[in-house]
Amino acid sequence: MPISQTAVRISQMDKYYGTFHALKGINLEVAKGEKIVVCGPSGSGKSTLIRCINRLEEHQSGTITVLGTELDDNLDNIDEIRRETGMVFQHFNLFPHMTILENCILAPKLVRKQSRAEAEEVAMEYLTRVKIPEQADKYPGQLSGGQQQRVAIARALCMKPEIMLFDEPTSALDPEMISEVLDVMVGLAQDGMTMICVTHEMGFARQVADRVIFMADGEIVEEAAPETFFTTPKHERTQAFLGQILGH
Amino acid sequence: MDATLPRQTRLRALRTDYFSTRLDTLVTLGFGLLAAWVLWSLFDWGVLHAVWSAENREACGHGAEGACWAVIDARWRLILFGLYPFEEQWRSALACAVIVLTGGASCAPWFWTARRLAALWVAGFVTFYVLMRGGVFGLTEVSEQNWGGLSLTIFIFASVTLLGMPLAIVFALLRRSQLPWIARTMGVIIDAIRSLPLLSIMFTFAIVLPFVLPGWMIGDKLHRVIAGYALFFACYQAEIIRGGIQSLPGGQEEAAQALGLGYWHRIGHIILPQAFRNALPATINQLVITFKETSLVVIIGFFEILASGNAAYGNSEWNFAHVEVYAFVGLIYFVFVFALSRYGAYLERRMAVAER
Repeated sequence: MPISQTAVRISQMDKYYGTFHALKGINLEVAKGEKIVVCGPSGSGKSTLIRCINRLEEHQSGTITVLGTELDDNLDNIDEIRRETGMVFQHFNLFPHMTILENCILAPKLVRKQSRAEAEEVAMEYLTRVKIPEQADKYPGQLSGGQQQRVAIARALCMKPEIMLFDEPTSALDPEMISEVLDVMVGLAQDGMTMICVTHEMGFARQVADRVIFMADGEIVEEAAPETFFTTPKHERTQAFLGQILGH
Repeated sequence: MDATLPRQTRLRALRTDYFSTRLDTLVTLGFGLLAAWVLWSLFDWGVLHAVWSAENREACGHGAEGACWAVIDARWRLILFGLYPFEEQWRSALACAVIVLTGGASCAPWFWTARRLAALWVAGFVTFYVLMRGGVFGLTEVSEQNWGGLSLTIFIFASVTLLGMPLAIVFALLRRSQLPWIARTMGVIIDAIRSLPLLSIMFTFAIVLPFVLPGWMIGDKLHRVIAGYALFFACYQAEIIRGGIQSLPGGQEEAAQALGLGYWHRIGHIILPQAFRNALPATINQLVITFKETSLVVIIGFFEILASGNAAYGNSEWNFAHVEVYAFVGLIYFVFVFALSRYGAYLERRMAVAER
């Protein structure tokens, strides 16, 4: 596969917290436009894995190459990768002292050096896409959780990233707000965005994922297309996990 | 709605709050009488029996029943301007007005960007300094040694804050450095300076430093004292800012990193604006303390407003009138400090909008 078709390539990557071996010999290759869902029990290292991709966590050995650039101690490389990688967090992490619009235009203005007018135009376009343009002048604290998460997605998209990372984007939401966020994510997937999502929304996985990755104890246990993954899981830990979350 | 209802309710509230039991009634009446007596005595002394004009000075003195405001009438220029040359004192007054106006202007939200605020304060401060110091634009030169009174107090406070605040930010950031030896060294420096009394720092900078510094670094004594005080202020304020930074959820910095913002952008746009909001009450507190402790410069021979007040009654003619002078100086302190705390409260109310 030529480099230009690979979005993320991780090989033999290890991550430690002190002496705790959090990720063990991870190998993963994500093609451009591919949608990956990562799932697994709590503490299995799935969040740590995607946080390594934009260097919110540092790995200790092995290599991570994002869009042809290798993540090492070179700060310029890290900045370049972060510019091209959007991330959505479990707790939204909007900037509470800025309005919704200011949240969206901050990085394009400072990092992409766009003019204010240009950045605002792009921001309004994405806010319209996540269906909350009318909230542009409010502060995050005035919005519901679902609305905040949609703003967080719009904010990441304003940087026009090549890859979007989702770290349990619906886990902190009230049940009635989950679907509004998932709808936005499905729309994004249909537009061909490269997406790596840590989520327990198996309906979403079935609908959009090209591959589902199951992790346990810091290792990738099973990796399969969704229909195979849900109907004929091979590994017994996968079967147990699916039994638990689909059982009720 | 019945228009008389609120009044009845208020009356009932008054009764339940202050007269609900016999003891409550007793306490209310007792303290009410005490308060009335204190207020009346003050009014009687300060207004009814007071001597207002310096021409009636003979009416003051021992045995007089009222306040002798004549001392203020006669000596107000000494209190406000200290040793500043008499015919140039309009400059000192104007300089104070400039700083007060600058402070007032910084309340306007239009100025609330780092660049505008910095420009405003640099302009205000330079105007102040040129007016006070002179030597340009045909103004006679008045050296710092002859400054005094309110303008000296304001000068020290403003310079300490303007120098100390950026220094405090630098200290707080170094204290949070990822490199342990930088963070620890900064911690030791802050702890060391905080454990020294302000008086000894001022004394060291004013008297001891000239012996150890090379000639070109010595500068004016007042400037050295301000440098020492600013360092002291910065150490306290750095800890206040650090507290503000630590109260932020870690996700804020991560979100900024994930968007590709560099260190200085993260600090300037995400971390510090929120940290200052969280640290606002403590910061106002620190500013109030700093304003009042400017009076310590008297130990190295400067006549800020309190020392000028002492000088105002410190002669045989007025030596009985210290209470009146202190009341006057106290009022001036009150005006400035109260304005500061109201400003702080205003900022808190405004920023609450952005919280939740």
